[in-house]
Amino acid sequence: MWFQWKKQLKKTTKRNEQSGQEKNGINRTVESELQRNIETVRNTTGNSVDVVIRRFLLGKEEGIPAALLFVSGIVDEEMIHQFLLESVVQLTVPSSYCREEALVYIEQKIAAAGKMKRIKRWSELFLALMSGEVILLIDGVPEALSVEAKGGERRAIEEPVTQLSIRGPREGFTESLATNVAMVRRRIQNPHLWLEAITIGEVTQTNVSIMYIKGIASDEIVEEVRRRLQRIRIDGILESGYIEQLIEDQTFTTFPTVYHTERPDSVAANLLEGRIAIFVEGTPFVLIAPTVFIQFFQVVEDYYARFDIATALRFLRVLVFFISLVAPSVYIAATTFHQEMIPTQLVIAIAAQRESVPFPAFVEALMMEVTFEILREAGVRLPRAVGQAVSIVGALVIGQATVEAGFVSSAMVIVVSITAIASFATPSFAIAISARLIRFLLMVLAALFGFYGILIGIVLMTLHLCSLRSFGVPYMSPLAPLILSNIRDTLVRFPMWALTERPRLINQTNMVRQGNDQRPKPPNQPEKEGDNH
Amino acid sequence: MTLVHMMLLSGCWSKKELTDLAFVIAVGVDKKDGKYVLTLQVVNPGNVAGATQRGGGSSGLPVTLYTSTGDTLVEASRKASKKISRLTYYAHTNLVVIGEELARDGITEIFDAIERNPQFRTTASVIVARGRTAEELLSVLTPIDKIPANQIIKTLEMTEKVWGENLNVHAGEVIESLSLAGKEVVMSGFRLDGNRETGKKTKNVQSIDPYARLRAEALAVFKKGKLVSWMGGEEARGVLWILNKIHQTALNIGWKEKKEAVSYKVVRSKTEVTAKMSKGNPVISVVIEAEGDVGETLAPIDLTNPTQIATLEKKIRNEIQKEVQKAIRHAQREKSDIFGFGEIIHRTYPKEWKQMQRVWDEQYFPHLPISIKVDAFVRRTGLRNKPYFQ
Repeated sequence: MWFQWKKQLKKTTKRNEQSGQEKNGINRTVESELQRNIETVRNTTGNSVDVVIRRFLLGKEEGIPAALLFVSGIVDEEMIHQFLLESVVQLTVPSSYCREEALVYIEQKIAAAGKMKRIKRWSELFLALMSGEVILLIDGVPEALSVEAKGGERRAIEEPVTQLSIRGPREGFTESLATNVAMVRRRIQNPHLWLEAITIGEVTQTNVSIMYIKGIASDEIVEEVRRRLQRIRIDGILESGYIEQLIEDQTFTTFPTVYHTERPDSVAANLLEGRIAIFVEGTPFVLIAPTVFIQFFQVVEDYYARFDIATALRFLRVLVFFISLVAPSVYIAATTFHQEMIPTQLVIAIAAQRESVPFPAFVEALMMEVTFEILREAGVRLPRAVGQAVSIVGALVIGQATVEAGFVSSAMVIVVSITAIASFATPSFAIAISARLIRFLLMVLAALFGFYGILIGIVLMTLHLCSLRSFGVPYMSPLAPLILSNIRDTLVRFPMWALTERPRLINQTNMVRQGNDQRPKPPNQPEKEGDNH
Repeated sequence: MTLVHMMLLSGCWSKKELTDLAFVIAVGVDKKDGKYVLTLQVVNPGNVAGATQRGGGSSGLPVTLYTSTGDTLVEASRKASKKISRLTYYAHTNLVVIGEELARDGITEIFDAIERNPQFRTTASVIVARGRTAEELLSVLTPIDKIPANQIIKTLEMTEKVWGENLNVHAGEVIESLSLAGKEVVMSGFRLDGNRETGKKTKNVQSIDPYARLRAEALAVFKKGKLVSWMGGEEARGVLWILNKIHQTALNIGWKEKKEAVSYKVVRSKTEVTAKMSKGNPVISVVIEAEGDVGETLAPIDLTNPTQIATLEKKIRNEIQKEVQKAIRHAQREKSDIFGFGEIIHRTYPKEWKQMQRVWDEQYFPHLPISIKVDAFVRRTGLRNKPYFQ
C-alpha cells in the first residue's frame, strides 16, 4: 500500500512538473515579433487584468513598436510613469542603430532605474514579471529588458506584536524581505554580513534568504542550513513556519528546535553569536538556527538591562515555565495522594471547598484546564470587539459561577489562574505552547501515580530534551553537555564585560567577543603593575 | 522497559479523594474495663470557620467526636469505621491526649501503634488530661481556635514560649524517653474547668465567658512509663530551665523589705548541662545564662545606678537557682530522672554508664550532686529609669 501510494505520488508530481513546463514554456525563448510575444504573455497569464501591457512607439521620429509589461500593485507605478515610460518614449535612438543595438542603448541610457537585466528565456521573463519587475519588449528584438521597480502597498514598520520590550528598539520586521534585511544591515554595518538568496516553492517561487556573518558563523552549519533549504521540494512557502517544519531536526517533539523572532535586534544579536538567520518573503518572522533550549528564556532586554536584574528575571522565567508545567498536576497529586504533605489548616480549607464538588480532583482540574484552553483559543481568534465579551464570560461564568454552583472548588480556580498567568509570562509563545501540552500529560500521570508520576514525567521530559539536536547542536547545551565558559549567559547573565566568549556551537574559529579587561574602573586609579607590562 | 514496568506495576492503589477522608485532628486514649477506649476528634471541614463560604454550614460544629473500644488501639481504630462514613486519616493528627487513669496505669505500650503507623506524625503533641478521661477533655468546644485540638496545641506552644511552666512534648520525644534508661517522660497536663455537659454544645462558644474551658496545667512526671506525680508553678519552670526550654518568662524578685517587688522579663536564656566523674561518682553541673529586661518595679529603685543593677542581678540569680533546686528536689524525691541527666552521663562516660544503668533511678539519681550556676543580667530597663513614685 505504502509503496503504491508513494509511486502514485511520484507520478503525479512528475505530471505536474511537465504541465508546468509546458505552460511556462520553460525552454522557449523570446521571439523577435512583438505581437507574438504579447500574445504569449496574454495566453500564459490567462488575460489577467492586473498584468498591464502598455504598447508605445520608441523614439521621437519614426518610432519602433515596443511594449512595457508589468503587474499592477506589486510595482512602483509612479516610477514607471515618471522615469521609465517618459525617458523611454522621449529617447532618441540614433537611426543608424539596428534594433538589437537599440535595446543595449536603452539599457545603458536609462540611468533612472536601478537593477536591469537582459532576458532571453520565457521562464526567466515570467519570474521577473511576477516578482514585480518591469519588462520592456521591442519589436524585432528576441530579447527582453527587465527593470527592477518593485513597489506597491506594504505594511509600514511597526512595533513588533509578539515580542514587546520596555527598553530597546521599537521596530519590528514586516512582510517585506528586503525591508527586513535592510533593518539588520543597518545594525551590523560590516561587509562580512553575507546574504544568500534562494527561491523555494515550485508554484509560489518564494524568496528565502540566509544571513550570517562570515568568519563568525561556522561554515559547517551554514552549509547544513543551505543543504536543508535546497532539499525542500514543495509547491508553496507562505510563512517561515513551513521552512521551520521542513528543516528541523526532530519533528516528533513538542519543543521548538528553531527559534523565530520578529525583532531585528534579536536577529543581529544571534548573528553575532554565530547563528544563522533565515528570512522568508511575506512574513515578519525570521528563523534562527541553531537554537538551544535556554534561548527561549532569554529576551533581548536581558542584555539592555543591568546584569543583576536580567539574572533575576531569568530565574523568574524558568520558575514561571515550571509553574505552568506542573501547577495543576501538583494540585491533583497533593489532594488525591499526598494529603499529609499539605499543612493541616490548608488541607482542611481545601477539603471544605471540595466538600460540595461532585468530581474527583483530576476531573475537576481537567475540566478547568480545558475550559481555560477554550477561552484562550476563543480570545485569540475572535475579533477584538467580541474578545471582550469572551473575557467577561470567562471571568464571570468560569471564575465565579462555577465555584458558587459548587462544580469546582475555588482552590482549583486559583491553581488554573496561576497556571494561566504563568504560561502567559513565559517569554516565548513557542515554548509556552509546548508546556501547555506537556501539562496535560503530567496531569494524567499525577492522577494515576501522584508525585511519583510527576517525577517520572519530568525525568522523561528531561531525557527527551537532552536527546534533541538543533542543526547538530545539543538542545540543552550549554547545560548538558556542560560548557562552563558559556554558563555565564544561561540562567544567569554575567556582567557585560564578563561575557567574553561566543556560545560554543559547532566548529567555530572566532570565539572571542571582547577583550579580557573590559571591566569599568573608577578614574585616576593607578593601574596595577601587572597591567602596565 | 524499566520505566514502563515502573509505571504499570505501581498503579493508583493509594489514591484517595479529599472527600473520602475523615481528618482525625486529635486522638484520645483511655482505658476502661481492661480495654482501650479510643476517642477521635474528626474535623468537619465544611464547618470550620474561614472555609464556610457556601452551603450555610455555619450552624454545624467544627469537629465531631467518635469513640470506640478495643483490646488494641488498631482494633479500636478500625472498629470506629462502623460510625464514620469516611476513611480515618491520621496524617494530620496533631494531638494525643492520655487520660489520667491510663497514665497512672502506664503508657509504654500505646505509643507502638502511633510509631508504627506511617501516617501518624511523631511530631504530634502529647498531653495528659488531669483528673479526667481523654474523652472528656476532647469533648469541649473552644471559642477562638474553632478546632479544640488546635486550641490545646497553640495554648501549649504559646505558654511554653512566654511563661515557661509547660512543656510541649512530641510523641517522638515520649517514645525516645520511654526507650532510654537515663531519661523519664515528662509532659504537660490539661485541665477542664467548668461544666462539661454545656461544654459539648454550641452554647459554650456563644458565651463571652464559656461554661467549660481548657487550661494548661502542671507537668506530669512519669516513672517507668507511669504517672507518679504532678509538678506545678515554680517547680515546673525549674524543669524547663534545666531542659533549656525557657524562651521567655517573667520572674518576681524581692527588693529590700518588699517581696515580689521587681518583675524581670527573661528574653533569652541558654542552659548547658554537663557531667563529670568525681571519685567514681557522677556529678552534674547545670549552667544557666539568662538575659532580660526590667518589666515592672513596685519599689523605688534607681536603675541608673550600676550597683543597684548588680544587686538586682544577684537576686535574679538566686531566684532562678531556687526554682531549679525545687525542681531537682521534687524529681529526686520521686526518683524520676525527667531531666535526662542519665543520658548525659551515658554520652560523656559510656563505659561507666553501663554499670550505673540498672540502678540509676534507685541508687544514683536520688543522691546525685548537682551544681547549679546561674548567670543572669539585665539588658535593658525599659523606657523609664527611676519610677515616678518614691
